[in-house]
Amino acid sequence: MPSVGRNIPHDSARGHVTGQSKYVDDLPFARNELIVDFYWSRVAHGRIRSVDTSAAAAIPGVAALFTYKDLPGQNLFGPIIQDELLLAEREVLFIGHPIVVIAADSREAIRLARNAIVVDIEELEPIFTIDAAKKAQWHLGESRTIRRGEVAAAFQEAEEILEGQWRCGGQDHFYLESQAAVAYPGEHDALIVHSSTQNPSEVQEVIAHVLGLPINKVTVVTKRMGGAFGGKECQATHPAAIAALVALKTGRPARIVYNKDDDMQITGGRHPFQNDYRVAFTRDGLITAAAIDFFSDGGAYADLSTSVMGRAMTHADNAYFIPNMEITGTVCRTNFPPNTAFRGFGGPQGVATIENIIEEIALRLGRDPLEIRMKNCYGVDDRNVTPYGQPVTNNTLPRLFTECAERSEYYARRAEVARFNRESKTHLKGIALTAVKFGISFNTKFLNQANALVNVYLDGSVQVSTGATEMGQGVNTKIGQLVADELGVDASTVLVMITSTEKNNNTSATAASSAADLNGGAAVDAARRIRTRMTEVAAGHLAAASEGELTASTADIVFAEGQVYDRRSAGRKLKFRELVKICHLQRVSLGERGFFATRGLEWDPVAYVGTPFRYFTKGCAASEVLIDRFTGMMRVLRSDILMDIGRSINPGIDRGQITGGFIQGMGWLTNEELRYAESGMLLTHSPTTYKIPNIQDVPEVFNVDWIDNATNVVNVAASKAVGEPPLLLAISVWCAIKNALSFVSDGKLDAPATGEEILMRLANQKPETRN
Amino acid sequence: MRNQALLFINGKEHRVAGAEAFDTLSNYLRYTLGQTGTKIVCEEGDCGACTVLVGRPDSSGKELTYRAVNSCIQIVGQLDGTSVVTVEGLAPPRELNAVQQAMVSCHGAQCGYCTPGFVVAMSALFETRDRLSEQEVRDGLTGNLCRCTGYEPIIKAALAVDGSRMMRARDLYPSAPMLETIGAHCRDSLTIEHGERTLSAPVTMEQAIGIRSERAPVIILQGGTDLGVQANKRGLRPPLLMSLNGIKGLDEVRIDAEMLSVGGTATLAALETAIRLHAGSVFSPAHGHLAELANILGIFGSPQIRNAGTLAGNIANGSPIADTLPFLFVMEARLELTGRSGTRVVPINAFYRGYKQLDLEPDEIITRILVPLPPSGSEETLGLYKVSRRKDLDISSFTAAIRLQTTARTITAASVALGGVGPVVLRMPSVEALLKGQTITQDLFERAGQLARREINPISDVRGSRDFRLQLAENIFRKFYYERLEPRREMREA
Repeated sequence: MPSVGRNIPHDSARGHVTGQSKYVDDLPFARNELIVDFYWSRVAHGRIRSVDTSAAAAIPGVAALFTYKDLPGQNLFGPIIQDELLLAEREVLFIGHPIVVIAADSREAIRLARNAIVVDIEELEPIFTIDAAKKAQWHLGESRTIRRGEVAAAFQEAEEILEGQWRCGGQDHFYLESQAAVAYPGEHDALIVHSSTQNPSEVQEVIAHVLGLPINKVTVVTKRMGGAFGGKECQATHPAAIAALVALKTGRPARIVYNKDDDMQITGGRHPFQNDYRVAFTRDGLITAAAIDFFSDGGAYADLSTSVMGRAMTHADNAYFIPNMEITGTVCRTNFPPNTAFRGFGGPQGVATIENIIEEIALRLGRDPLEIRMKNCYGVDDRNVTPYGQPVTNNTLPRLFTECAERSEYYARRAEVARFNRESKTHLKGIALTAVKFGISFNTKFLNQANALVNVYLDGSVQVSTGATEMGQGVNTKIGQLVADELGVDASTVLVMITSTEKNNNTSATAASSAADLNGGAAVDAARRIRTRMTEVAAGHLAAASEGELTASTADIVFAEGQVYDRRSAGRKLKFRELVKICHLQRVSLGERGFFATRGLEWDPVAYVGTPFRYFTKGCAASEVLIDRFTGMMRVLRSDILMDIGRSINPGIDRGQITGGFIQGMGWLTNEELRYAESGMLLTHSPTTYKIPNIQDVPEVFNVDWIDNATNVVNVAASKAVGEPPLLLAISVWCAIKNALSFVSDGKLDAPATGEEILMRLANQKPETRN
Repeated sequence: MRNQALLFINGKEHRVAGAEAFDTLSNYLRYTLGQTGTKIVCEEGDCGACTVLVGRPDSSGKELTYRAVNSCIQIVGQLDGTSVVTVEGLAPPRELNAVQQAMVSCHGAQCGYCTPGFVVAMSALFETRDRLSEQEVRDGLTGNLCRCTGYEPIIKAALAVDGSRMMRARDLYPSAPMLETIGAHCRDSLTIEHGERTLSAPVTMEQAIGIRSERAPVIILQGGTDLGVQANKRGLRPPLLMSLNGIKGLDEVRIDAEMLSVGGTATLAALETAIRLHAGSVFSPAHGHLAELANILGIFGSPQIRNAGTLAGNIANGSPIADTLPFLFVMEARLELTGRSGTRVVPINAFYRGYKQLDLEPDEIITRILVPLPPSGSEETLGLYKVSRRKDLDISSFTAAIRLQTTARTITAASVALGGVGPVVLRMPSVEALLKGQTITQDLFERAGQLARREINPISDVRGSRDFRLQLAENIFRKFYYERLEPRREMREA
């Protein structure tokens, strides 16, 4: 029985539930190991007048103190734009900017040393808002535009026009395992670095870059992460590079583990956005034109902000065909920690913007927002090209809308919500059904490649290594299943190994939901090459063994259930491991390197035109909320999710991505709020004050399902990526809150819709609806 | 006198003295013993990743009863006389208990970092039960945060567990031999010294008062749910700590027709349990009031916090957003304080003199909290409210208690206490005066809300703006009216 499609437990599940799974800080301390931390700026913007580490150096147990001057290589780095200084030189640009690296024998010595370091900073005017950055023209990268049709003309001829601004806050990743790395010095300046990173190759390259080493001197190893969500795509490089610096300079193993409060304060998160929109539509609710200007808060350095903006812009259409559209995107620079990748990568901000617009159109016209959505939904045969020119093929969106509305009993419940709100003096209900169409592939074409190493051992067991990193999403389990099926063996005989730059070089980040697509594709390629060679051997061997009955025919060789046979003589079976042995004796290679590059991608990174995505993952969700009119406290009564994720490689794992993504998105749009002091210091830097969803926040009724769709043959095993798209379905919760408020107010709402935000909107409600 | 704390970890005896006794249990497990299954994330009891089981002798003294606590905010020394079970000890080597098995097959673990905490917390729930309802699962796992799964697979896993086939901590680690060792060792008081720090665990009240009188200030470390946080986050290292765990009988909770009486070391969980088990007329006002208190306790911190934290601790901490205080204020609770010169009783309404300023002498200990209950047949309505950013496992932005005594529809007495709107929990005499003698109408409570809003002067902080708090103070009277007093009952779906 093939393992693809089966609900196999996560390959680390047993280790997780018994506490045996190892993370970076679970590695035993090596003899002579140093603990590493750093002194970071408490000032958001300032000029460094002086740095005095003499008192710190005198503290017993302090082994080394380093500033930028001690870096053997380049201090300046960055994944897209090289604008970031690992260690501050003359200027600090955000709270959390590392200034002095501290290495010591104990945490206590680190604490004392940090207090003893004296950094004199002249404070400069900081920029903390998108408006202030716009005014100061302080940007990161270039503004970009997607343009289609005759926007100005469409507005002139419009029957209805709406305009407004929509804002959303940032979000902390709140991965449970904070940023962590251990660097072990090797011979001749070589380093082995265990890093909790989504991107071992980038960590490797940055370490080599800042230490002035050739890349081959640095090996980066990632067993697993205790969550990442984009937060360890670029920002895992800083701690790893700092630990590597200490290991190289002192010759001692060096460990750095951020505590939760530091991690939350000094690393960036999801980008806040502030978007201005104008939309033209008919009295029937057909959108004729939209002009959206996206402004994001990129923080102090570029990081991935320009790319995040690109995804926001390419998701501003979401599920809707808008014939005339102009979308601009500008990344504003501020004195916050650099914002970075976060599950959805700009997509959520783009999609929420258009979903808010649709709710606004429906309010203006007094219609059901779902009617507006379905009326504007991408067509199957026409009205099916995105504003950037990519056709929407295999379009299941109309079906998803219809089926999700049916399964969730949307129409009946919408009527019930209205009745409830007329009668209840204590509570308000709201309901909304929203969609997602999420483009799969890195927007940046060259990143869509992967390599894999497959080794078959003499007992028939198999090891697979790829550049994919495991952060809980189950990519390794899926890759193991794909390889098992390729070799016709049981998935339990295939081990997916620790990720290491020594085995897989120049890899892309585990990101963009596409790690299983890319690395799975590469692993299948490698396994297939091995199988091809084994097929030759099997054909010959089985023919010889048939004593003239069969001629050798590779086309007739079958690998299944751990056995190999010629389909013309299925009674005579070789065990897979017997064939392995035969191959070995015949000196046929049982190891292979596979490669995968996504086909069909074309993208003009300046004009913003082309086909940046291989396919789209789609879905719909209907959510209903209940709000206490007196306290603003909200809970989700029911959510129904229906997705198109192609053919699932592992239903249990995919389901977990859907429930997890949805709840994480709900957190972003409801209770997760980053609050800052006037100095720019984050106040909500621990779970006491930063409230991610709790188990009690899970919708009381939570239905998750997907449609059967085998048409996505462009991807491995006709599957679809599932990591990010469900997060955007949580927009249904936010729209349901907006819907509830619209019964008693103008319905205006920003994100996150905290209890406070809701109550203050209710306090300004229309007088006639006040009870 | 002893200078070593005694505890069992996964059945193995450990004697801890000196610096290690002052280390957090989570650090001790991970970095001293190398048992890294227990994870440290927030270091403030707000995520549950470090959850372990702590077994203490039950009331019979013959069995250990295991409860989930956060090991990141417990120091090793305060666990003297307990049996600790970590994720590594839930099942024999290479085996899985029923919870672990269900978490594997239901995809309850993704990244795995929260998983040990969840597995331990879930196992704790099955120590005493065979099956859980979905609400019990949610309530029981409120203290654990997961960022990957969206919890749904974890709920499914818990619902799939058949506890009757479960290897339980109390079965895996027989109580009798451990209790024998504990009984022999912990008969005497404990004093652990390290550098300038001392941790004492007296076994009698006399000793406790003696310690608290002779060297001041001695900080009482009971649940440690706040001190542990202060230690981890602000580097607080009080030189003199005292645990009252060794004093027998101080944890008693008693409920009778007239009085709720809570001992100085009774945990919030014990209080919750006592209320649940209390048999009384469902229609009596006392029953209603206790049920109201149980609701508030149900959203106090998390099970792990309630298993460690005490009512006395919540009172002594003196926070203006302490969840139990509005209740105690409007119920005119009294505190029994025991010190060198004996015992005195102070009304809680006179106990706070300012922000964290208490009417408590350095030698005094809160030994009992007395809450008079309304006589049966009286006509009373009590509303307790907690508003926080997240309903569960959150610290209040605003709290309130409104208590009315009525005859027909006339208010004969009113008590109102608001928290989170000033440096201490505030009684609102002007609002009480406004309400007293009046007939219940919507307009009356509108005016009460507006008056309350004018009378307070809240600050803006990370838990809410001033305007938000003003609005809540106004609205809470409206809420009370519509949900508790309005003649034709509304649908109350929340």
